[in-house]
Amino acid sequence: MAQDAIDGPWSLTIPETLFETLQGHLFPGDGDEHGAVLVAGIHPLRSGCARLLARDLFLAEDGVDYVPGKRGYRMLRAEFVRRHILTCRDEQLVYLAIHNHGGSGSVAFSSDDLNSHERGYPALLDISRGNAVGALVFAHGAVAGDIWLPGGRRVALDRTEIIGRQRRVLRPAPRGSRAKGDPQYDRQTRMFGQAGQLILAGARVAIIGLGGVGSLVAEYLARLGVGAFVLIDPDRLDPTNIPRVVGSRRRDVWWGLSSPTAPAWVRRLALAHATRKVDIARRVITEANPSAHVDAIARNILEPSATADLLECDYIFLAADEMRARLLVNAIVHQYLIPGVQIGSKVSVDESGRLTDVFSVVRPLRPGINCLWCNQLINPGKLADEAKVDRERKGQRYVDDDEVIAPSVITLNGVGAAHACDDFLFFMTALVAPSGTLDFARYESRSRALSMSSPRVDPCCTECSSEVGCRLGHGATGPVLPTFAV
Amino acid sequence: MSPAVQKAIDAITGQFNRDRVLVAADREGGAYVMVEGVTLGAPFAQDDSWIGFHIPSTCPYADVYPHFVRPDLARLDGASLGEGISTGHAFPDQAALKTPGDMPARTAVQVSRRSNRKDTAGLETPLHKLLKVIQWLKTR
Repeated sequence: MAQDAIDGPWSLTIPETLFETLQGHLFPGDGDEHGAVLVAGIHPLRSGCARLLARDLFLAEDGVDYVPGKRGYRMLRAEFVRRHILTCRDEQLVYLAIHNHGGSGSVAFSSDDLNSHERGYPALLDISRGNAVGALVFAHGAVAGDIWLPGGRRVALDRTEIIGRQRRVLRPAPRGSRAKGDPQYDRQTRMFGQAGQLILAGARVAIIGLGGVGSLVAEYLARLGVGAFVLIDPDRLDPTNIPRVVGSRRRDVWWGLSSPTAPAWVRRLALAHATRKVDIARRVITEANPSAHVDAIARNILEPSATADLLECDYIFLAADEMRARLLVNAIVHQYLIPGVQIGSKVSVDESGRLTDVFSVVRPLRPGINCLWCNQLINPGKLADEAKVDRERKGQRYVDDDEVIAPSVITLNGVGAAHACDDFLFFMTALVAPSGTLDFARYESRSRALSMSSPRVDPCCTECSSEVGCRLGHGATGPVLPTFAV
Repeated sequence: MSPAVQKAIDAITGQFNRDRVLVAADREGGAYVMVEGVTLGAPFAQDDSWIGFHIPSTCPYADVYPHFVRPDLARLDGASLGEGISTGHAFPDQAALKTPGDMPARTAVQVSRRSNRKDTAGLETPLHKLLKVIQWLKTR
């Protein structure tokens, strides 16, 4: 979609680490004005809204890059502007000049600011060759933006979302809410307030994999009052799933016809007509919250049409085992600045059948902060295996046969699902404690031990860095997502 | 084919003579590739071999594994082919091709060299991996 055709509100999303660096630069405690340039990708939504995605930040050095203005108080030096607008032109990114005002809670451009935009931004638009340019002004707890689109139309920034340990929303000025609360949520709104309930009702959440973990996530989120769901899983229910898939019923698998004692052809026919897992989750969600909107997509997440639905979400729960799904979700988290979490549980037994490892993991994924590729949690060998057809994979495997069916137990899934949903709740309602972390968590069921690990960050990572050609915040003009090419 | 897979194939055809490289698309945007006439020699009795492999649609993240070579591969000293090399395979599996028959199956010896940890900057391309496998074979 052409940038000048976007007719809905514009927002800006900033990874928390970038925001904290910017805040430290703009508000060092001297009460003065400071400057910077933010370069951003763009993500047009189907609703007609647009998200600006903060990709990289360049701090203007006082007296060198940010100097006394000819008409206003201060200005960015021409050479500093030129360097970054040319980068934006070459990489199809949006150029955003930043400065700060005093005060807190609300902010607006001064007449000097707006006059300088009118003098300078038509020329910047010419240089940027089809990419928007604009300005942001920050105060404590408030951000305003003046975005110039190709063609000359101007839009005001609706809001800025900071994504990290929690989601914070900054606007040019406070916005009141007069929406009435739903009494059924009385007990939980006593914790996070009516404002929190409205945030949940306005959230659109994706769940990838509606098996043992994903079905529990669907139930928890529906009862919390999340307003919209994208459910993605190509599979139908199998009789062996019933002990773990929340909301499944024996008649979903034509019980009796699909049992091991039934003739093989009858069993095949029954399983071919078993209820899809996404439809079971839809049933669970709408029973808990009839007003929830549910898109049930019974396709592989790597099909481009399914991936497109993920890009419209505010949060992604990855509850599927496939490495390829991990690769794709990790890419979306960093390229489109959509937060998420990877959840799993594992039971390992040795050759004699003795239990060795029983654990659940919850790995929060945040743009520019937590990356599965940096942390060696996406196995290139398994990516290769998953791309093969079954017969090919079996034919090539002659050393380590890990195709035995792994044990799986609902209580282990419940540990991961509950913690991941809890993290989501506190993230969305911005109630995370100051000491809260984004560490990866591992719960050892047999010892009841909890271990946390701080994710490493590779500054040159193709997925979570802003190096040229890398994904962070690049949005629709960034690298191709690792989906099927059809 | 995905742009990354096409780029990988372009690099391979740039390294080897274009008319020695056969390519057939898989069903997901990846490709099966066969390079004819790759020089072998000692320690093997054969002077050359074709080498076949699959580049998954998730290139460059996925490993390119395993590789396949001529079915009569044998050592000059008569010893067994050794660890990581196994006989009795076929390449490619016709069910995996976008259009079965695009690359007729050949009986093959499988060469298993995994790269389980790829650099986060994605430096090991399918061409790098192919050259590493050829080098590994020559040092057996």
